[in-house]
Amino acid sequence: MPAREHSIYMSGVGGQGLVLLSNVIGSACAAAGIRALTGEQHGLSQRSGSINVHMRIGEEIRSPLIPVGGADVILSLEALEALRYVEYLKPGGIVLMNSRVQHPIIETAEHMKDKTARYMSAEDVRGRLSKVTEKIAVIDALSIAKQAGNPLTENIVMLGTLSTLEELPVPEDALRQSVADNVPKKALDVNLKAFELGKQAAFERLCNMVKCRK
Amino acid sequence: MGVADVVKEGPGRAFVLCNEAIVRGALEADVKVVSAYPGSPTTEILDTFSEVSPKFDLRMEIASNEKVALETCAGAAMVGHRSITSMKSVGMNVASDSFFSLSYTGVKGGMVVVVADDPQAHSSQTEQDGRPFAPNAYVPMLEPSDPAEAKLMVKRAFELSEKFGVPVMIRTTTRVSHQSGMVELDKLERRPFEKLAWEHPPGRFVTVAESARTFKHALLERTRRIQAEFEASDLNRVATTGSDVGVITSGAGYNYAVDAAKILGITPSILKLGTTYPLPRDLIAGFIKGLKTVIVVEELQPYLELHVHAIAKDANPGLRIFGKWTGHFSEALEYSPDIVVEGMSGALGLKAPVDYKAIMNRAEELKKGLSDRPPTFCPGCPHRATLYALKQATKGMKHILSTDIGCYSMSFLPPLQYGDSLLSMGACLGMAAGMQYAAKEKVVAMIGDSTFYHASLPGLVNAVHHDDDLTLIILDNEVTAMTGQQPHPGSDYGAGNRPTRRLVLEDVLKGFGITDITIVDPYQVKDAVGPMKEALSRKGPNVIISRRACALYADRNKRKRGETIQSNEVDKDVCRRPYTCVRTFHCPAISIDDDDRKSVISKELCDRCDVCAKLCPFGSIRLREGE
Repeated sequence: MPAREHSIYMSGVGGQGLVLLSNVIGSACAAAGIRALTGEQHGLSQRSGSINVHMRIGEEIRSPLIPVGGADVILSLEALEALRYVEYLKPGGIVLMNSRVQHPIIETAEHMKDKTARYMSAEDVRGRLSKVTEKIAVIDALSIAKQAGNPLTENIVMLGTLSTLEELPVPEDALRQSVADNVPKKALDVNLKAFELGKQAAFERLCNMVKCRK
Repeated sequence: MGVADVVKEGPGRAFVLCNEAIVRGALEADVKVVSAYPGSPTTEILDTFSEVSPKFDLRMEIASNEKVALETCAGAAMVGHRSITSMKSVGMNVASDSFFSLSYTGVKGGMVVVVADDPQAHSSQTEQDGRPFAPNAYVPMLEPSDPAEAKLMVKRAFELSEKFGVPVMIRTTTRVSHQSGMVELDKLERRPFEKLAWEHPPGRFVTVAESARTFKHALLERTRRIQAEFEASDLNRVATTGSDVGVITSGAGYNYAVDAAKILGITPSILKLGTTYPLPRDLIAGFIKGLKTVIVVEELQPYLELHVHAIAKDANPGLRIFGKWTGHFSEALEYSPDIVVEGMSGALGLKAPVDYKAIMNRAEELKKGLSDRPPTFCPGCPHRATLYALKQATKGMKHILSTDIGCYSMSFLPPLQYGDSLLSMGACLGMAAGMQYAAKEKVVAMIGDSTFYHASLPGLVNAVHHDDDLTLIILDNEVTAMTGQQPHPGSDYGAGNRPTRRLVLEDVLKGFGITDITIVDPYQVKDAVGPMKEALSRKGPNVIISRRACALYADRNKRKRGETIQSNEVDKDVCRRPYTCVRTFHCPAISIDDDDRKSVISKELCDRCDVCAKLCPFGSIRLREGE
């Protein structure tokens, strides 16, 4: 039976490992015999700028770009970047967002001038997103990644969280195997631990709102 | 994913980036010579070839520019070897001089030229449409829509090239090049590399005057034969549904058109063109004959639309043709499924099932106050320090900054907003020559080391020869940084990490007659200001070299050596909130603590270039405790 269609809008800040994350999911699909395609961003925009990857799963899908209002999930490695692409979320879609905030330099330049201002926080983002969906999981991926043994594994933490979704057409085992296939051998244990801890975080913060596996 | 799949013996199935699929296709076609200069969105073709090249018996160069790369491939193909080059849209402008002639002379071995346009100008100075190069040069052109098709077309292109003795262009766009998807890997069958004998009569590849006229007649005949072949090519696909509405499309447009039709719940007949020069005119005529309406879906210029109009004049004069000329689609920016839904629904008088405008308006409301995040210099980037020093050194000095293509182009973006002009690779010098004639202000040209070798050497010769009064700043960061830190003529290694001869920048400059050369280290930011100021006050032409490795490149090397990357922190007891580090430096690792309003440095982002520490008037920035 062909896999049901599923689109994940992934966002973050250049340098966070978003393309690796989409590769892991895509390779997992290839191994599981599921058709997937992506629209990725490489080049100039990666330099600490806002970046996105459109991840699309389904036999009939041709466009590497998700239409506005067409994402089942927004998965963001940085809190502000979850809000930046809110127009892509389907009504009632799921938001998986890292609580980490990286302030853009132009925001900080403005912030310096106004002593009473506060930065937009992850909680602010959650509050705004809650006007379009109730299904928002805020994950402290940096702390979890550090707990796993390497702060650079935030992307795999978020993948672990994603893997628990029942509606995700990719089997969890295929995702875990794909992590093993796509990270350097010496970083394998840390990444698998990050994946497991990301799953645990989902059980605490996501699975009360949406259907999860197991 | 990636290189591991590209080198698999096959057969098999893999999820790969289109640019990797292009490499795989070329390897399956037993390509022997590869040469390219990096440029988004084609860079991963070069990177992948470079990484796999030691595993295969082929010759590869990371060329100094696209023209040299194309000529290298042309030379090898004239001898008889299969060759491939890739370049971004504007790279073709550089290479085109030889590209046009090469169509006249033709080739013996198969030669493929991959050209990737960048609608939306994600990483480019213009939204140039590269398709007109093909008809203008009489070079056949293929356009894939996805990685699997790209791989197939590369293999077909080599066969076509050898059959007709002409280079073949494969044209993609960003959303094709940077699309990953499923690709069937065929078995890799490679023959050993061997040198071939030059078996051509004298003058075989010389095109000028009489021989050019002879070649011209031959290439027109060749183009007719290629068109006849394309009329029946399976690279063009017709999906007839019986509807009186049809869609004619190619490349990325096809992907959006298929999804848009599904969203709209309509089933138009679709002609997907894979051979877009010469166009299969009879196939198009046959497709439109039974239709009442046709919608042309293509990004950028109305290239297909123009020809559909011309063909319909005889084939179906009553046909209603919708596209850019009817205002339903734009010649600007890249498309998306929702943009094509709106174009199609407008053309057909349908109501889009989703109110995209309402969603966008709601989103804008939710995003009020959300700061933009344009790309900027990385933490540790030496350009940030160079630009700081340059601003200090030019205080009170009215000047024009003629800048160039590279990471440093970003200096014109907020918050720095520094830089007055930018046209194309290497243009800063020629422009500076004109400015110093015309303007009252001091003229400063700024260029990176890779761009310097790519296209500014004639500009430098010109400036020296005419004794132009300008100061050139060369940002020497050892690599072609913006495209992913590839080596260039100033590196002692090339493709596949093979050793190359390093050109010494000062020697090159001296050889060209530049005697006034100032070298600064941007990390010693305060020490750099004085010498820069002095150099800028002297009559040009003179050169300032700001030398420090790209931070991303340096970090990668540090990690390889097992070194840890340290970070700084703000000693809050010392910080008196002068915000020097924020106001003048704009580093993404530095933000402001909302509670005490003092600067904080992100351990994760800081690269410890230590420049902010040198700038802080209170000395409050120091190595993070415990590091």
